[in-house]
Amino acid sequence: MSLYQVQQCLFDYLRVLEDPKTEGRPEIDTEGYDLSDTERKALESKDIGEIYVMGVHPVIVNGYCRALGYKRADYRPMLEAAAVKTEPRKVRWQK
Amino acid sequence: MAEIVLAYSASHAPMMSADKESAPPDQAERFFGGLDKVKAELAAKKPEAIVFMTGEHFTNFFLENMPQIAVGLGDGFQGPLEKWLKIPKTIVPGAPELAAHMLDGLVTDGFYPAFSHKLKLDHGFMTVYYELDQTMELPVVPIILNCTTPPLITLRQSYEFGKSVGAALRSYTGYERVGLVGAGGLSHFVGEPRVGDIEEDFDRWFLDQLEKNPLSDELLDMPNDELMEAGNGTGEVRAWVAVAGAMEGHKATTLAYEPIYEWINGMGVTSYQT
Repeated sequence: MSLYQVQQCLFDYLRVLEDPKTEGRPEIDTEGYDLSDTERKALESKDIGEIYVMGVHPVIVNGYCRALGYKRADYRPMLEAAAVKTEPRKVRWQK
Repeated sequence: MAEIVLAYSASHAPMMSADKESAPPDQAERFFGGLDKVKAELAAKKPEAIVFMTGEHFTNFFLENMPQIAVGLGDGFQGPLEKWLKIPKTIVPGAPELAAHMLDGLVTDGFYPAFSHKLKLDHGFMTVYYELDQTMELPVVPIILNCTTPPLITLRQSYEFGKSVGAALRSYTGYERVGLVGAGGLSHFVGEPRVGDIEEDFDRWFLDQLEKNPLSDELLDMPNDELMEAGNGTGEVRAWVAVAGAMEGHKATTLAYEPIYEWINGMGVTSYQT
């Protein structure tokens, strides 16, 4: 029941997919991780938007999307739809 | 004492190796043209080894154990990790005596990097290194920086760290000529709703700032959350700022800048007069 457990589960899954001995694309294995029902469901249903919103590190989100075979045009709308909209802040490189 | 005879920073988008042809040819030509100038400098000045700073991408460290800085002490480093990078797999030679000297100098200066004899090299290193030396025989001390997992060091801390890197490198007596490289950035967005965007205004402003020497308070005092507005991968410019710290007082020149949307990355090269 922690964001770290979600991220560790995804990280381990990505390493399994990278392993030359792995055949095809097995489903993610959530056993052994201390996950809430919501977290487990998001992982097992490949809910990219929910995974992003819960705060998974973007490097993992990126790797996971690519591992699922999504192209940028596929997953950007999922992330846009899930994200909380915020106003752009004033930044020093825009005078 | 070693002299830094080559110093530059460059972007390290994976697609500059994995899918080079996807970029508009004129843009790719100008970007690689910048790297070719650096390569010509390498041939002319013949550094015996380089120190190479780049960002962590969960290749060597994950959340259970994440240092802000790690120095590679090994005799050699396996790379690239990515099967799809279109760079031959190899063992890049290390420079363990230089690395030990660097580590000692950094700790004496008040920095406390992790160290490892077994770092692996991913696209963050291999893309830029391969463009510099396709034989992949140039010995290297890799320095890995945490650029994406908060809490993050500030740009000012990166600059001060770079000064210490420069001092340690110059005080080494085992080589006469050494190089220094920073890789990462410029602006890019990863695994978030703005993936694919490039903050061109930031990139151009940042490159202008680098040409000011020493770097301005305006740049070095930028809070991390403001830097994040330029992209959640853009924090890799910490490596560039560290090189600037090491090369304080040396003229910096932007050799190339191209916003290459096909590679989802602002692609730049800045070199220092040595």
